[in-house]
Amino acid sequence: MLAPTDTKVGKTYIDALRLKFPDVVLEESWQADNQATITVDPGSLPAVVEELHYGQGGWLSVVVANDERPLSGHYAVYYVLSMEGVEKSWVVVRAVVDPETLEFPSVTPKVPAAVWGEREARDMFGLRPVGLPDERRLVLPDDWPDDLYPLRKDAMDYRMRPQPTTDTETYKFINEARGETTVVPLGPLHITSDEPGHFRLFVDGETIVDADYRLFYVHRGMEKLAETRMGYDEVTFLADRICGICGFTHSVAYANSVENALGIVVPPRAGAIRSILLEVERLHSHLLNIGLACHFVGFDTGFMQFFRVREKAMTMAELLTGARKTYALNLIGGVRRDILKDERSRTLTLIAELRREVQELVDMLLATPNMRQRTEGVGRLETSIARDYSTVGPVVRGSGHRRDVRVLHPFAGYKGAPLPVHVMEGCDVLSRVLIRTREVFDSLALVEYFLDTMPEGPLLLEGFTFKPHRFALGYTEAPRGEDVHWTMLGDNQKLYRWRCRAATYANWPPLRYMLRGNTVSDAPLIVASIDPCYSCTDRVTVVDVRKQKSMIIPYKDMERYCRERTGSPLK
Amino acid sequence: MIKLLKIILKAGEATAKYPFAPLPISPNFRGKPEYDAKDCMACGACTIACPANALSMETDPDAGTRTWSIFYGRCIFCARCEEVCPTGAIELSDDFELAVFNRDDLFKSATFALAPCRCCGTPFVARKEVDYVIELLVHQGLPREAAEQRRGFYETCPDCRRLQEVDRATRQAGMVHAAPAAAPPAKAAPAEMETAP
Ligand code: SF4
Ligand code: SF4
Repeated sequence: MLAPTDTKVGKTYIDALRLKFPDVVLEESWQADNQATITVDPGSLPAVVEELHYGQGGWLSVVVANDERPLSGHYAVYYVLSMEGVEKSWVVVRAVVDPETLEFPSVTPKVPAAVWGEREARDMFGLRPVGLPDERRLVLPDDWPDDLYPLRKDAMDYRMRPQPTTDTETYKFINEARGETTVVPLGPLHITSDEPGHFRLFVDGETIVDADYRLFYVHRGMEKLAETRMGYDEVTFLADRICGICGFTHSVAYANSVENALGIVVPPRAGAIRSILLEVERLHSHLLNIGLACHFVGFDTGFMQFFRVREKAMTMAELLTGARKTYALNLIGGVRRDILKDERSRTLTLIAELRREVQELVDMLLATPNMRQRTEGVGRLETSIARDYSTVGPVVRGSGHRRDVRVLHPFAGYKGAPLPVHVMEGCDVLSRVLIRTREVFDSLALVEYFLDTMPEGPLLLEGFTFKPHRFALGYTEAPRGEDVHWTMLGDNQKLYRWRCRAATYANWPPLRYMLRGNTVSDAPLIVASIDPCYSCTDRVTVVDVRKQKSMIIPYKDMERYCRERTGSPLK
Repeated sequence: MIKLLKIILKAGEATAKYPFAPLPISPNFRGKPEYDAKDCMACGACTIACPANALSMETDPDAGTRTWSIFYGRCIFCARCEEVCPTGAIELSDDFELAVFNRDDLFKSATFALAPCRCCGTPFVARKEVDYVIELLVHQGLPREAAEQRRGFYETCPDCRRLQEVDRATRQAGMVHAAPAAAPPAKAAPAEMETAP
């Protein structure tokens, strides 16, 4: 559609599909030269996604549901696949869903990575993925009315707060253990995670046999807010606030999605500036995670020192953007601020200092016997499970897969930038920590590279035309892995639909496999290793199902136990 | 271990003295927006640009005033307002200490007198904005007298301007103009209107 035929990257995937499943592809459209959307016969949806995923080297990034009744009379679901075979591209599989039956065949039994996306489509749109093995709510709380689907176009105002329908928690935690287990709930706030989450560890003695968890206690309704209250050009500022650690990367992913939809080419200088800031963000994010890894293995001095050094990355952000966090620098079409000579030289000084100081600390961390002991072989994510769930970031790279959006689908200024992808086969917490330490040095080198090679020219492309109902993907490699935004423009300079998938969304579902077989004292460390933003929290409740008794363990005890591993609070 | 101690010694004290000493911040830091009503002409550009709806503009047609206001509780310190303001009336400062005891202290506002439409009498534009535009024209090289002649045009509300357009077009086409029922009381347009751009 937009792109001339000869630049269509990934066409081979669709041709192969047409060969294998004749008459299944009903429609094909191109949003960018590496982005295609095919509408398929709904009955074949699972088979098509399975073929792209396992047969042709695709990774399922996100499932987007959309209420297209005002446009075409039905709902639609979009399965977004990052194709990483010979050609690197994006193929989006779309199927329409009947507005009366609301049913479509579930993809999850064939591709487990679809599970959260399909559960969310149930919650938000009331669509029914037939055959979905897990039909519990994902996002909506237990006390939300049954027939109110927030993202339907005719459902509700974004400010509406319906009356709670129940006082009791009805959520069932799933335990796949065969024998008898004790339940250890961690929550209402998870002990290492910033997002309040409720975890249940099913333990036998000290060993975790299975685990289940519930999140989204602080779902902020940002997609709804953006679709109803904000102009498309204001959403970059909202996207900055999706995460308190890696918000800029969301802002870039969002801006990219709109730019792709409108065919806007961002000026090269703006692309380079975006890349610089993305690396600055990765620096402070990785240093934070490595610092916390020290903390959870009982190396608190290391924790303090990493945080001290991390401050230099924060200063760099303040220097380059005017704020430590929430840089607010993106507009559709480019960036708002240039990097001047003085800022450049001060950044280079900070980079040199960081490189030296981080190196010292990393050497010391790796020389700490506790570190290796506590993390080697712990929290294993098998290569095959990492594949099944389309995991991302240092987690997937620590399980032997070479996945990094910056290299696979270069965006912003990354095309041609020297960037090694670190892959390890250990599949454990140690691999993830080591990968992050190496990526810190990559980020330092990349900031230098971009500052040295920054092209001249404008910062912002202006004067483009807004075209309603165009849609496209935007993507970035956040510190925690790939962020994917799917945006459809609407009337009145607004968004029709905005779906943003943060990196950790892809890493939560397989977490239960990482927890299985480890001891309770390793649980916080394992959860920390997927880097889901941290906070301290109040307490942990322990329920002994055999004795029908529960006790509350103060957070401090649980944390102390994780670090010292003596005097189990469970006894 | 010795190495670690050396690092610690070298690092010295990392804790900042703040709040007992001022916290050093970068030259381009984006803090609390400071607003100066003296320079503001109530054009409303900032209220449209503000992504967080921290800025608003309200017109009171009875009093003939327009009130600009900011609610710091909503502000996200993005500096879009500063970027679009033609007069520099709003600028982000270095101040990041916004805590107040009373929620009302997070509001700030300024009220401007409106000029009535020369045609229908409805107050619609801040006098200051018209003055600003005239000054701009003079600055761009238009003789003051000519610039002042345009005042009437700028003091005619968009509704009346549209009607005048229709009026003129129909007259030019030699047709009889019938005023729509809902039209404001027809007053003869000031003479200079005819020559306005
Ligand atoms: S800084 Fe941003 S949020 Fe605050 S008033 Fe200005 S435009 Fe609005
Ligand atoms: S843009 Fe400037 S002059 Fe216009 S209303 Fe805002 S502060 Fe006043």
